[in-house]
Amino acid sequence: MASSASAVAIGGPARGTIPSSRSLGSGRSSCPRVVSLPVAARGGGGGGKAGALAVRAMAPAKYKGTRMREKRLAEMIEEKVREASEVCEGDARSDECKVAWDEVEEVSQAKADLRLRLEKQQDPLESFCEQNPETDECCVHFD
Amino acid sequence: MAACTVYTTQSLHSTCSISTPSKTHLGFNQKKQILFYNSGKRVTNRGIAAVPYVIRCSGDTVVIGLAADSGCGKSTFMRRLTSVFGGAAEPPKGGNPDSNTLISDTTTVICLDDYHSLDRTGRKEKGVTALDPRANNFDLMYEQVKALKEGKAVEKPIYNHVTGLLDPPELTKPPKILVIEGLHPMFDQRVRDLLDFSIYLDISNEVKFAWKIQRDMAERGHSLESIKASIEARKPDFEAYIDPQKQYADAVIEVLPTQLIPGDNEGKILRVRLIMKEGVKYFSPVYLFDEGSTISWIPCGRKLSCSYPGIKFTYGPETYFGHEVSVLEMDGQFDRLDELIYVESHLSNLSTKFYGEVTQQMLKHAEFPGSNNGTGLFQTIVGLKIRELYEHIIASKAAAPLEATKA
Repeated sequence: MASSASAVAIGGPARGTIPSSRSLGSGRSSCPRVVSLPVAARGGGGGGKAGALAVRAMAPAKYKGTRMREKRLAEMIEEKVREASEVCEGDARSDECKVAWDEVEEVSQAKADLRLRLEKQQDPLESFCEQNPETDECCVHFD
Repeated sequence: MAACTVYTTQSLHSTCSISTPSKTHLGFNQKKQILFYNSGKRVTNRGIAAVPYVIRCSGDTVVIGLAADSGCGKSTFMRRLTSVFGGAAEPPKGGNPDSNTLISDTTTVICLDDYHSLDRTGRKEKGVTALDPRANNFDLMYEQVKALKEGKAVEKPIYNHVTGLLDPPELTKPPKILVIEGLHPMFDQRVRDLLDFSIYLDISNEVKFAWKIQRDMAERGHSLESIKASIEARKPDFEAYIDPQKQYADAVIEVLPTQLIPGDNEGKILRVRLIMKEGVKYFSPVYLFDEGSTISWIPCGRKLSCSYPGIKFTYGPETYFGHEVSVLEMDGQFDRLDELIYVESHLSNLSTKFYGEVTQQMLKHAEFPGSNNGTGLFQTIVGLKIRELYEHIIASKAAAPLEATKA
């Protein structure tokens, strides 16, 4: 956990302004002393999170959980559109058809909201870290 | 007349939060009535203070209803609205990450989808869409909005849009301004009577289609046909249940395709009409030049140069579903800051606190969609109107005798 925390903090460039907002938080000095890892280890290891950040500096950095969620929603959309088209082949005015397309709309909106939220806030831990800067996930180490 | 409830809080030495925020950076006057009493049993030596009482008078909460089809709480309108009151609205911290609620210092935005009585599978079984009133629990909605209005916290259910399930409830505390946003804020008579002000966002079919294309075309699962089919399938329920709420709204923002470019169907240039009901308490409609007369105004000319297709304003009285209304309409878009300032200086009754406030608010969120056309302008103006309404209501309640608080 601590290793990924340091990698997360230092893998900053991929995430633009996020590191600066973390570093402005209070309680920097209360961070527990941690053994710093060599750069290679930070880049490759430390879990999917840190690896994604260090390696993919070009694409907007996304956490594994976020990518999973996006994928799930995209698959859900595809599936529901297919379902709705099938159901509506029979009778385009039936209740089932309406409900099916309503579900498509709901999931599309959810995906759009997720996309918006990601654009606004790249870091899912940001709000948590503002409140708790001294936890392992949020601590910024200067080695 | 204000009825007051008494909350007991823990000792002030502990780190807990009291329901009303201690720092108010708001630009408006308000009298907060927080009184602390100590009970008779005070154990001073051990440093444990007695239980202090916080008395919060009910009737402080102003309830605004917003009918919109574009999902909950994350819409641009909400963000502009909460920004007018100060602060950014964010999802509640530490709770369900899929919560639809937004909380800022003064405002709480509740998504009415949380009052679905049927989750996604339930609706599929019964064959009802989310637009259908049978999928919503209006009794619970009325109870909880009433409780929040009276100053009581509620355990509000959460409807998770991703999973389609009803999640465990979250504690919602009564804010100063409560906004209920969703598909049915004005559907139920009882809820309608609780609203101090209501807004309906009416997007025309062509614009809706263009916006949904923008939103969904990047998705792999979607095609032009699927987007069209989705809109068509929802139309009958929408027209039967949601559209009739227009007549109850105090303000309607109607978004239509432009009339300045013949045959334009890209939906980029918009014609937006702000329909304001006359005779609503504490709400004075915006007007252009002369209240009650009919004006058509093209600001572009010698003093102001605009690029194609320019800007056109109209203002005039009309009737809307049998009510007297004033309609202010803007067709076109703003290209430059000075166009915006020029227009603002010619509108009257904007409820701004200083000259240029509308422009400042629009610039603050220049990256929001609609910042260069009537949608952003009228949403900002409605936000200012709501602020004025809030101040009037609070001022009139504070005038009530303080004896009522010493209950």
